[in-house]
Amino acid sequence: MTSVAIAQRAKVPAERSQAGAAATFLAPATLAVLLMLVAPLLLLVRFSVNRFDATDMMIEMVTPENYLRFFSDPFYLSVLRTTLFVAVSSTALCLLLGLPMAYTLARMQSRWKSACMLAIVLPLFVGSTVRMVGWMILFARGGMIDSTLRMMTGHGFELMYTTTAVVAGVVSINLPFVVLTIQSSIETIDTRIEEAAQSLGAPPSRCFWRVVWPLALPGTAIAGILCFILAMNAYATPYLLGGPRFQMMAPLLYWEFATNNNWPFASALALILMGTTLLLTACSNFLIPKRYRA
Amino acid sequence: MSELRISRRAALAGAVALPFIPGAAFAEEQVVIATWGGDYANLLRDNVEEPQLKPKGITVVQDVGDEDPRFAKMMAQRHLPRGPDDVVCLQGVLGFKASEAGLLETLDVTKVPNLVHVHPNLRSGNYVPHIYSLQVFIYNPDKIKEPPKTFTDLLDPKYKGKVGLGDGNYLYVMMAAALAATGDASKMTDPATRAMMTKLNENGLRLYPSTDSIGAGIKSGEIDVGIMWLARVIMWQNAGIPVAASFPTEGSVLYVSGMVVPKNAPNKKGAFDYLNAMLDPSSQARFAEHMGYLPTVDNCPLTGKIGEQLALPKPAPKMFVPAYDVVSKTQADTADWWKKNIQHT
Repeated sequence: MTSVAIAQRAKVPAERSQAGAAATFLAPATLAVLLMLVAPLLLLVRFSVNRFDATDMMIEMVTPENYLRFFSDPFYLSVLRTTLFVAVSSTALCLLLGLPMAYTLARMQSRWKSACMLAIVLPLFVGSTVRMVGWMILFARGGMIDSTLRMMTGHGFELMYTTTAVVAGVVSINLPFVVLTIQSSIETIDTRIEEAAQSLGAPPSRCFWRVVWPLALPGTAIAGILCFILAMNAYATPYLLGGPRFQMMAPLLYWEFATNNNWPFASALALILMGTTLLLTACSNFLIPKRYRA
Repeated sequence: MSELRISRRAALAGAVALPFIPGAAFAEEQVVIATWGGDYANLLRDNVEEPQLKPKGITVVQDVGDEDPRFAKMMAQRHLPRGPDDVVCLQGVLGFKASEAGLLETLDVTKVPNLVHVHPNLRSGNYVPHIYSLQVFIYNPDKIKEPPKTFTDLLDPKYKGKVGLGDGNYLYVMMAAALAATGDASKMTDPATRAMMTKLNENGLRLYPSTDSIGAGIKSGEIDVGIMWLARVIMWQNAGIPVAASFPTEGSVLYVSGMVVPKNAPNKKGAFDYLNAMLDPSSQARFAEHMGYLPTVDNCPLTGKIGEQLALPKPAPKMFVPAYDVVSKTQADTADWWKKNIQHT
């Protein structure tokens, strides 16, 4: 028997024991995920094909009527459209505002860098509902914006219960996540690559678009996806800043679940929202050229 | 004399076994009440739980939350042999729904002696009314000299963009519209009711996400009139908001908030004690003073400032307890209509 064969034979039990150890370590987390994520989802799927009953809450059966109700009613489709509009526009705004901030932060050499980072992270220390109450004070009639404009021009400007207010609120919540994700992605790009591009005569803008942007694209895409998912599922912001007339999927879902006690339809709404988000997130991957994908 | 020696192991084993020894671990009785938070929960603690139940050895745990999820939880846990709550606070419509679903323990004077004092029009077999209030028109007396007297007055173009309602009160607002349009508060799905509500919406109706935001709307001048509970008017008046009440000539729908005992309540005896204490005139008077709600018992006369604030005009306004059986059947349909035709415009 050659020494190579002996070594290979010794390697197999070692690999097996490593796999066993890995499985032991992974098992609790996998079980927890299965129990706490997959099981409720399966339950949700089951509920979504039941029939609503005002007295018994739901009657067990297998019917597509909750899904048909959603897709055949222009009202629900318009709610989905509004949700998509808010999610796409707030994601675009977050990327537009977040990219320069993230780049500046990543390349900052100043001793104020930590303070700037803290300033971006600081809003995350306050719950989103509390922050929305702050926006309400700013946007409301007699609030800071309205009062200032009324004093200066004689005409007020009410932003409460408008689409603009909701998009601004969602952007304010998601922006720190976007900045931090892109910033960490840019941090990994070696500055010497930019220096090389500049030494070869590329102006800063060309250096950014031809060198930094393609390398930061996977991180930016992740930031965009994160922002999009958060915006699609926004509840407190549309509820507080949009008011009862502003309909998005998450508040509608809660209304069906809690106010109407229509668990089957609420379950169908939850799955439709999740499916739409997943589908669009998967599709967004195709927007990135294949060679730049992570 | 032999020395008693307890090893560390024995002490630990004893500590572990203690909760399983009947009567040894829990000398105090515990009652869990699922309730609203804020002032309501504080008043329950300060006027029912601490002064009346604590001396009897009953400790109360408040399970604070919104009413809709509370009801949903109750429905979902109905098959459990032991539910999580002993007493559940519900307003009238949901109380009736819970009763219809067979979730509730039957209540009578043998279990809750103070039930004998409850106003007859508010009584029910398994629902104990705690507080109630009348639906009224609210207006800013600094701006409105001739307050609205009927629902139809709100449709006047002079109120365009100046009428505000709480979205969460949609069911009771629809009852008010039904009362004005058909003379029957339960006819919420009647075309005449819906037409009247649509007209109000077209008159620039402002919908607010919470009851408190209506008070803020009046204060900021965003709205001048609205529909609200008399109790809220008194709370806002006490907070310095310029608001007054006007009683609808067609009558006022009553908002009743009460408590129930689920059939699977772990401590029914404690729950009955809680309900009895809640109906006590001393605690009823405190709720009237602090929240402006009327007592549901006949042995709690109100005096002083609150007596004046809560005094009903003469002749007394017509009052209607909602026809809960009809309302609960049409609620889902009404909610759907409201969502699509009033919210979504």
